[in-house]
Amino acid sequence: MEDYKYLFKIVLIGDAGVGKTCLVRRFTQGLFPPGQAATIGVDFMIKTVEIDGERVKLQIWDTAGQEKFRSITQSYYRAANALILVYDVCSQATFDSLPQWISDIESFAKHKVLAYLVGNKIDQINSREVPSYIGKQWADRFEMRFLETSAKDAENVDILFYDIAMELTKDAREKDKLESDCTGFNISPNTKTINRCTACFKF
Amino acid sequence: MGSYIGMGQNDKQSRWGAYNGLGQNDKQSKWGHTLEWDKMISCQDGAIHWPGQNDKQSKWGHTLEWDKMISSCCGCCAALKPRYKRLVDNIFPVNPEDGLVKNNMDKLTFYALSAPEKLDRIGQYLAQRLSRDVQRHRYGMVVIAMDALDQLLVSCHDYSLNLFVESFLKMVQKLLECDDVELQILATSSFIKFANIEEVTPSYHRRYDFFISKFSSMCHSNNSDETCKARIRTAGLKGLQGVVRKTVSDDLQVNIWEAIHMDKIVPSLLYNMHDQGFVQVDLDNHRNEEAPAFVAETVFRDLVCRASFGNIKSVLKPVLVHIDNHQLWCQATLQFVVKCFKIIMFSVQQQYAYIVIQVLMTHLDSHVRSSPDIKSSIVDVLFECVLIAAGGSIGPSVLDVFNNLVRHLRISLDNKSTDVDKRTMEKKFEEAIISTIGEFANNLPDYQKIEIMMFIMAKFPQFTSEEEFGGKMDAQLQTMLLKTLLKVATKYKTVSMANAFPPEFLHPLLRMSLLDDPGMRIIVQQILHTLIDRNDNTPKFKHVVITKDISKLGLKLQKSARQDSLFMKKNGSEFYGCLLENMQMDSNKVDNFEALYCTMALICVEMGCTEILLELIRFALELQNIAINKLSLPLTHKCAIHALTSGFLNLLAQLAEVKSLATYVSGVIEIRRQEASHLLPDVAFNRANKPSSYPEVETLKDTWLFQQSQIAEILTELGHDVSRLSKPFTYRVFSSLLGGIDAEDSTLEKDEEERRRKEILQTFQTAPFEEIVARSESKSNHFHNKLNEILEMVSKHPDSPGSLRNTNKTTVPVFDIQFPELYVY
Ligand SMILES: Nc1nc2c(ncn2[C@@H]2O[C@H](COP(=O)(O)OP(=O)(O)OP(=O)(O)O)[C@@H](O)[C@H]2O)c(=O)[nH]1
Ligand SMILES: [Mg+2]
Repeated sequence: MEDYKYLFKIVLIGDAGVGKTCLVRRFTQGLFPPGQAATIGVDFMIKTVEIDGERVKLQIWDTAGQEKFRSITQSYYRAANALILVYDVCSQATFDSLPQWISDIESFAKHKVLAYLVGNKIDQINSREVPSYIGKQWADRFEMRFLETSAKDAENVDILFYDIAMELTKDAREKDKLESDCTGFNISPNTKTINRCTACFKF
Repeated sequence: MGSYIGMGQNDKQSRWGAYNGLGQNDKQSKWGHTLEWDKMISCQDGAIHWPGQNDKQSKWGHTLEWDKMISSCCGCCAALKPRYKRLVDNIFPVNPEDGLVKNNMDKLTFYALSAPEKLDRIGQYLAQRLSRDVQRHRYGMVVIAMDALDQLLVSCHDYSLNLFVESFLKMVQKLLECDDVELQILATSSFIKFANIEEVTPSYHRRYDFFISKFSSMCHSNNSDETCKARIRTAGLKGLQGVVRKTVSDDLQVNIWEAIHMDKIVPSLLYNMHDQGFVQVDLDNHRNEEAPAFVAETVFRDLVCRASFGNIKSVLKPVLVHIDNHQLWCQATLQFVVKCFKIIMFSVQQQYAYIVIQVLMTHLDSHVRSSPDIKSSIVDVLFECVLIAAGGSIGPSVLDVFNNLVRHLRISLDNKSTDVDKRTMEKKFEEAIISTIGEFANNLPDYQKIEIMMFIMAKFPQFTSEEEFGGKMDAQLQTMLLKTLLKVATKYKTVSMANAFPPEFLHPLLRMSLLDDPGMRIIVQQILHTLIDRNDNTPKFKHVVITKDISKLGLKLQKSARQDSLFMKKNGSEFYGCLLENMQMDSNKVDNFEALYCTMALICVEMGCTEILLELIRFALELQNIAINKLSLPLTHKCAIHALTSGFLNLLAQLAEVKSLATYVSGVIEIRRQEASHLLPDVAFNRANKPSSYPEVETLKDTWLFQQSQIAEILTELGHDVSRLSKPFTYRVFSSLLGGIDAEDSTLEKDEEERRRKEILQTFQTAPFEEIVARSESKSNHFHNKLNEILEMVSKHPDSPGSLRNTNKTTVPVFDIQFPELYVY
């Protein structure tokens, strides 16, 4: 009945207006929404992708960047399998607030969550304020992956999400393997529960 | 029969499979047929009657025949489509618009009820179908599948539903994941139905994380279509309520009170409660109660009232965070915050109401450096909560709260802004604190009010370490504290004087009446007024006047209670002593004298003046002595005291109904009126007085004065024992202080006198305590324990009166034993 093998939760964070919603909509709906309104609280979208012949479902939680929603959005970090931290390459200010975001990730997200740093809006070549290499350096320093995107021109957007899906799938498979190796010992009447646990990606 | 049915089904399945990819029409015809076929067999329980559907009969007839044929021979075809699947298939109509095929649904239900072990599979199969329909966007069928799931849930809730529920929830999730608004709303309503079902064996490993996350997200819908937005939000809100209902009562379920959940749920509710965007739309909408704001409020109430002791804070914390984050403490939105907290106070289980107050207090602490208007708002909200908290429900932390409030008052005053506007806001904050303390006290039983007053008194800055550290004590803080004290005092309803003035309270209070600042002294007198006055006579004694016939004053007289005059016999000397000392303060203003007069008058009215007549007369005469003998007093003060004495004796004689005395008093007054009007209130208390209003030369004639000998005569005639009248007026407590104040004093230099006065005060400050200690030792009362309790609490707070301990250095150790802090002045 399951129409997917794995389910992963991806949470997008970053200052207001950096283009999180546009990235998600570009990826899930294949469009660049004109006049995208600011997100309130948290938005939700889903997309199923195929990785090595297996269906992987991505639950994407798009959070509001506005400060006043910070506490509710932070409560979404913990469930995330991957976090995408977005800044706007045309706005130094959004880059400058990265440390705060990093420290939020450290306080609220799972330890060692897959984290991606994304500089968005690279289509606006003339107004760029943050050079690529700076972003890259920064990402390296915090052991994040790094990508520059344009939701508008659909540049690197699919790559971003597919890369995350692939990485998470790889992890999940390893985990599955580990667990199937162990289950031999685990002949308990409570198999249901155990299944639940091993499949915590799924629900 | 089972196998026979199975055969038929199997046949159908293969067809279904074969036609799967084909047009709807083709399938429809088969469906229709199957329905009939199924109806037939289940109704007849084995006996087969073909219903006679002509058009289809030809097509299906053979199947029936065939089925019949093989039914006899086996049950061994493993690949047959099981009955439950067929039953499920049958509930779907040919045309989705027709809705669930009702009698087939009944059959399915009946089957599920009689074979509950099949429920899990039914669920799974339904889910599978629904899943497929979702993918193919056949929403009509989706709705039908959900309908079926709902009905099965409701009908079968007596059985263990675990696995069935799993399938069910997967379906709800599936629909919630769809972009389609209608499906999301459908899913939510199914979920709500599910939430209302009490399961016999709830599953403890079920997780609701997705639902909470998704419903919370729906609560924030920003759909461009207003109606749509409202519907999604309402659905989200109700979904959250469902999760709460489902999980809250069961320890085995997820702990919904965990921060990770509450941090989503609570802000979602508040955001909608506050979002007024919908209000206009709803005004002309009759189904107002579907509006998100309304639903959110209902859900919020529901949530709060379910919170138990351990988790009420889990709700409150995100509430406060939300208010902070959305900057709702400002004036424009304060109403909303007040409303939230009113809802909380009205919904929370009574016995936990005090936690709300506690949490607000802590929040105020966290805002200690915030701007005064935010702090004011918090205190305003606190005030509203206190108003709502019923008497007993304030809880054990009462003194804690007081302590905290006073501390904030102090911090505010210590950090006074020089900016005028800011200072205005700070003042507002300070006033708000005072009102709140007063309101707090109002909710306390009376004995606790006294405790609170003592507690506040103990906070006087000059009695704390601060002064030692060189900081000049803040007059404003003292005034504020006094106002607070007054506020609490006004809430106290005096019944008996002995209860209103236990010695541990009375002594420090009287001590405080001698503060340097005349304005503060007035407040202390006002505190005395409100505590002594049981009959609202205070307004009638606001001014010193000579009333020929006091019956015209409309006084409400206290039936003299023995215990009150007893109280006065015991404690009167302290009152008198303190009043006398007060009269001699150089800094007195007219207002001070008036306040003192009022206190004296109230004592007459309330304490049974006939019983203590003699003492009161002695007191009055001593007052006159001061005016005569204390030469250092300004003339204006002397006149005021004379005038006050005359007013007092006039009142006393009439109140005590001693005619002859009244006649004598009015005689003296008459002489004064003619010869020395400056000794009467009309002149002495005339605020428009100039120096010229007084005689140039100070003279006093015997006839202007009240003569002790003559008064003694009058009283002897009435059978009083006046032997004491001639004895010098000594007061038990103050004797040591006042003994020296006689004519000799006048020879002292002004500052020498000042020094002496300070010295006196010093003695005064320690003297009564021997008595307190003595009393307390003999009668260790409830108060004592309470005090210790206070002290314990207090000492937990670093910058609260715990710091009072430092002052102990200077005091006699004996006080440490009994009142380690409160009484160290
Ligand atoms: N040129 C350009 N503009 C973009 C791009 N992505 C987003 N924008 C614009 O940036 C603005 C904000 O985009 P959103 O996607 O709403 O930003 P957000 O991060 O979701 O903002 P919040 O929801 O408030 O946190 C919109 O006006 C978009 O049109 C991009 O790749 N290129
Ligand atoms: Mg957005």
